Amino acid sequence: MRFRDHMELSLSNLWKVKLRTLLTTAGVVVGIGAFTAMISFGLGMQKNVAEAFRSLDLLNTVIVFPPGGGPGARPDGRDPAAGGESGAGRERGEPAGQAAAVLDDRALEAIAALPGVETAYPDVSFPALVRLNGREEFRLVQVLPARIAGSKAVRIRTGRPYASDEAAEIIVDGFFLRGVGVKDPASILGARLELVSVSFDPSLLAPAGIVSFLQGGALPLNRETYAFTVVGVSESGAFGPEGVLKELMIPPGAAGKIKSLPFRSIWDVFRLQEGRAGYSALNVRLSSPADAESVKTRIRDMGFSTFALADQFAQIRRGFLFLDMVLAAIGMIAVFVAALGIINTMIMSILERTREIGIMKAVGAGDGDVRSVFVFEASVIGFLGGLFGYGLGWAVSRAINRVVNYFLARQGVPAIDYFAFPWWLFLGALAFAVAVSLAAGLYPARRAARVDPVQALRHD
Amino acid sequence: MSRVPEPEAPPERVPAVDVRGLSKTYRLGRVEIPALRDVSFRIAPGTFAAVTGASGSGKSTLLNLVGGLDTPSAGTIAVRGKALAGLDRDGLSRFRRSGVGMVFQSFNLLPARTAHENVAFPLIFSGVAKAERRDRAAALLEQVGLSGRSRHRPAELSGGEQQRVAIARALVNRPPLILADEPTGNLDSGTAREIVGLLAELNRSRGLTILMVTHEAALAREFAHIVIRLRDGRVEAEERLR
Repeated sequence: MRFRDHMELSLSNLWKVKLRTLLTTAGVVVGIGAFTAMISFGLGMQKNVAEAFRSLDLLNTVIVFPPGGGPGARPDGRDPAAGGESGAGRERGEPAGQAAAVLDDRALEAIAALPGVETAYPDVSFPALVRLNGREEFRLVQVLPARIAGSKAVRIRTGRPYASDEAAEIIVDGFFLRGVGVKDPASILGARLELVSVSFDPSLLAPAGIVSFLQGGALPLNRETYAFTVVGVSESGAFGPEGVLKELMIPPGAAGKIKSLPFRSIWDVFRLQEGRAGYSALNVRLSSPADAESVKTRIRDMGFSTFALADQFAQIRRGFLFLDMVLAAIGMIAVFVAALGIINTMIMSILERTREIGIMKAVGAGDGDVRSVFVFEASVIGFLGGLFGYGLGWAVSRAINRVVNYFLARQGVPAIDYFAFPWWLFLGALAFAVAVSLAAGLYPARRAARVDPVQALRHD
Repeated sequence: MSRVPEPEAPPERVPAVDVRGLSKTYRLGRVEIPALRDVSFRIAPGTFAAVTGASGSGKSTLLNLVGGLDTPSAGTIAVRGKALAGLDRDGLSRFRRSGVGMVFQSFNLLPARTAHENVAFPLIFSGVAKAERRDRAAALLEQVGLSGRSRHRPAELSGGEQQRVAIARALVNRPPLILADEPTGNLDSGTAREIVGLLAELNRSRGLTILMVTHEAALAREFAHIVIRLRDGRVEAEERLR
């Protein structure tokens, strides 16, 4: 038998029982549709997370803490950056029997000079009151060197990065704009933005000041206002070592003029009392994620602790593999039900076509010919089901995506694609549909091949 | 039982059909029903042979065995010197494809297909290309006098026309042997005579060996070379007419 004849025979047989073919195929369409949508959702989640990591350059980033310092050293032992108890990303250096290393400018230079390190800059941020368009918001301001602000670590959506480390210019991010109710990012460019910082005024620590404080007077703090020009709007802010989003970025030169509290958290105050100077953390950007291990080892050898999100990412990927498997299993159930539908249809078909099978055999069709006609019919159902099932899965996920994005847009969440349809998903869905249908058609086809022609021709 | 003498007319020495000690027993639950008991006969190539007998005499069983649709309980069948017992399932289907053409009482045409498609159908399993299938089917339909009805479906044809389509189908793989199982059973006497006449004509013009089962003794005597009479599964008599 020729392939073309198989196809024509199967198609004409299926065409004769259009409604049943349609219903059986619809079962496969729904099954494969569910399967496709499930898988593509898992893939989409994975892709979004991976892209976020990549676009924020997180895989290229190693954060350096002073020995025993950093968020992991807090008394309650929690590590906010690593998220709960999964502190796998944290690796702490143990300087053996020497004075604890200090994360100062010398350390910064040494780290910046390591092979594989693109840049290293201190993680400096401070809280400030932000005044824009007559509104006041309390935000964390990140001090970011101009060369970093100009790199792909900060994705400028509108405008430009600040011109130099000394410029009184500021980059704000999309979250901040939504927070202050600015719809069009372009309209904010060139606007005047004021940072009101709170600084510690030692003069107010004089006994008189303390007395006045105790009597309900002002705290020993100064408020000072600094003007900045908004030059750029970034996609999103920079992630600091604590995973806190800093929505405003200013160059270090301008930041140096701001009198601010020299600490970000109450633990910094204690550290200050211990007389330990230095930065609370350094951001190290690598030229390639491949250098992460060697750079981390060298930094730990210097006696510092490191934290790399790349390590977290590997764990996240394992988590996604599990999620994909669960989603695929749910999709499989629908495909399995569809397979039962195929078996049912094929067995019905054999009962109805017993006489036809008898005729086929009487005119010289072998067992193999009869078997392959039925297997072919099942695989045609599978192929069509896979084709349209993929289409259905695609259409449904498009619709879900639109609805979800519509509602999330009202809450200010930017639209993203929650589903991913790589090319191999199409081929995979099609191959899976055909394979399942073939398997479902195998038993009925064997039964058809075993039909006794004498009985079949007597059959009415 | 007398030995069948070698017929002189066809020159070949090997019989077209050689049946030796053939028995077939059906099993219905625990009851064994003997359909054929120790049947032997030989048919020379180019012979039009008729098998007659009452209903239940084992005629159809005999034909199914010779046609390779069924396997005997005992005895041997050789068609043109080739023993069917030596063939596996695939071998038997190859034999049915090219060694023999079958015609049935109930025509056994595919109802959803046209006369033309029915005639060409067996060629699909022989792997014959579409163009050749079309040509061969058209030629055969013309030969059985149905070229004008090739696009009709069986339901749109008379009984006689349907049987002609079935005969054309039996010929399409050019087998040397045609087995006809009560080909006139569903036809009126006039049409029945035409159909048997067509078979006799094919026997004459193409040198086909024909083994026809019928309960119409008169038709058998009118056209056949030899008549084998079955009774209760045994050969009762074998008569050479011409």
